Amino acid sequence: MNNYMENDSSITDYYKKTAMFWSDMIAMMSSKPTALTGVGPLRTLSSNLKKITAELTEANKEIVEFNNFLIEYYKQLADTWSSAQKEVTSKASELPQNEEGTEAYKRVWIDIFENNFTGLFDSKKFSENYNGLISKELELLKRWNAVTDVMLKSANLPTKQEIDEIYEEVHNLKNRIFKLELDKKKAEKNARK
Amino acid sequence: MPENKFDAKIIGEFLNLGRSLAEAPMKVSVPHEVKLGSTQFDVAYKEDKMRLLHFKPLTSKQVKTPLLISYAIVNRYHIFDIDPKKSWIKNLLEQGFDLYLIDWGTPTKIDKFLGFNEYVNGYMDNCVDFICDESNVDKVSIQGYCTGGTLATVYSSLHPERVKNLVATAPVIDGWKDTTVVSNIAKYFDVDKLVDTVGNMPPEFIYYCFSILKPFEQGVEKYLKFFNNIDNEKFVDSFLKIEKWLDETPPIPGELFRQWIKGIYQDNLLIKNKMSVGGKLVSLENLNMPIFTQVAVGDHLVSPECSMPLHYAVSSTDKTLKLYPTGHVGMIASSFSQKTVLPELGKWLKERS
Repeated sequence: MNNYMENDSSITDYYKKTAMFWSDMIAMMSSKPTALTGVGPLRTLSSNLKKITAELTEANKEIVEFNNFLIEYYKQLADTWSSAQKEVTSKASELPQNEEGTEAYKRVWIDIFENNFTGLFDSKKFSENYNGLISKELELLKRWNAVTDVMLKSANLPTKQEIDEIYEEVHNLKNRIFKLELDKKKAEKNARK
Repeated sequence: MPENKFDAKIIGEFLNLGRSLAEAPMKVSVPHEVKLGSTQFDVAYKEDKMRLLHFKPLTSKQVKTPLLISYAIVNRYHIFDIDPKKSWIKNLLEQGFDLYLIDWGTPTKIDKFLGFNEYVNGYMDNCVDFICDESNVDKVSIQGYCTGGTLATVYSSLHPERVKNLVATAPVIDGWKDTTVVSNIAKYFDVDKLVDTVGNMPPEFIYYCFSILKPFEQGVEKYLKFFNNIDNEKFVDSFLKIEKWLDETPPIPGELFRQWIKGIYQDNLLIKNKMSVGGKLVSLENLNMPIFTQVAVGDHLVSPECSMPLHYAVSSTDKTLKLYPTGHVGMIASSFSQKTVLPELGKWLKERS
């Protein structure tokens, strides 16, 4: 067990293995008596519990990575805000202290903040971090979809993947009909000639 | 103890802003109840969620070649008819054009497999077929705006025999030359993961892209200006219509979005003549019809550098490139577009129709 505690990744592996071990054990221990009577959705759910546990354990790792990207995202925004504000403060001392100065201050504030933030949004570091953030969010969504699929299976309902297969089939059928209609149209045109 | 000095004008401004904020709900319509579009039309043809709108003529004498407008896949077509005084559609009808517009509709999950092929060789080609049959002509003029300009360009390359004139208004053509922040995000975007996980491109993500374009002008200054002009009926009406339009963007079919990001922004296939749609190569050299490229110098959504390469890539000898001192929306829905852009477009089209 000591090996598992050496670093963060080992700790995650330790918890993952523990969760897997006990969900397997519970499933095995409970399967004998329930197998005699259990045919309903709860039986399916209990046998799929291992999959849910695996998805949730993996999701933990991704939540940590997602948080790292999120922290960096807000850091980039905060740093840009702070440097823009410094620039505004240094410019403000050059502006006249009258009514026109107030108007000029507003303009300077908007322009400097706009330039600084556009510079950030246009940078490689922002784009890479932002896309990393979205990517992790999508991985979490995939886990959530997998958990939902287990629930749907338990309720004897079609899963997302099964619905997608139907959509794809409908799409392919439509394309085939479209091609047939096109051929028919061409044949009619040729016949008219 | 030093005496605090407050500028009376600033205090006045704050008080006025506070008053406007409090009175706004009594003076202004609920944004989502604002009605967009005033020009009358018939739904001439319908296929899946796509509708072909035919606008009722406003003149007795009409230009012979019908004009088909291919609207963008982001936001809705209402910007072309947002206000009677700034209506792109009304202006063209008054110039005597027989006008059709493609409303791509609101895709749902079942539409996630729709791509360039279905949009261009399916919907758009069927619309052209319909218009040709109705008007008894062999060709139509096509105008495409923004991403609709790209679809119109791809269509004209694959079906040049059906296009009398092509008008590309702020088209997305050369993704690598685009200098906007949208292209910066698109370059590194894992579009496969998004489409495979979510399906269609959700509107929320499109809103995010808009929000980082000019965050302070569009997110702060614009609203301060609105509340400071709460008693100006014309200003408020125009502001709410544009806001409602901005807020109504449909999802983009997943496959189309995937092909868009990869083909235009990441691999830049269109300008390299390497894009394949429906098994056929899209070559800009096929564009031999008269072409009018309209570019807005202040465009922060599709930069001029991204649109202008179309003018230089086509084989047409009758081609015009115009740069207008305005923005992406200003080019189609402003007093400037009524005074300058539309009269020039009408004249150019009439000379070739």
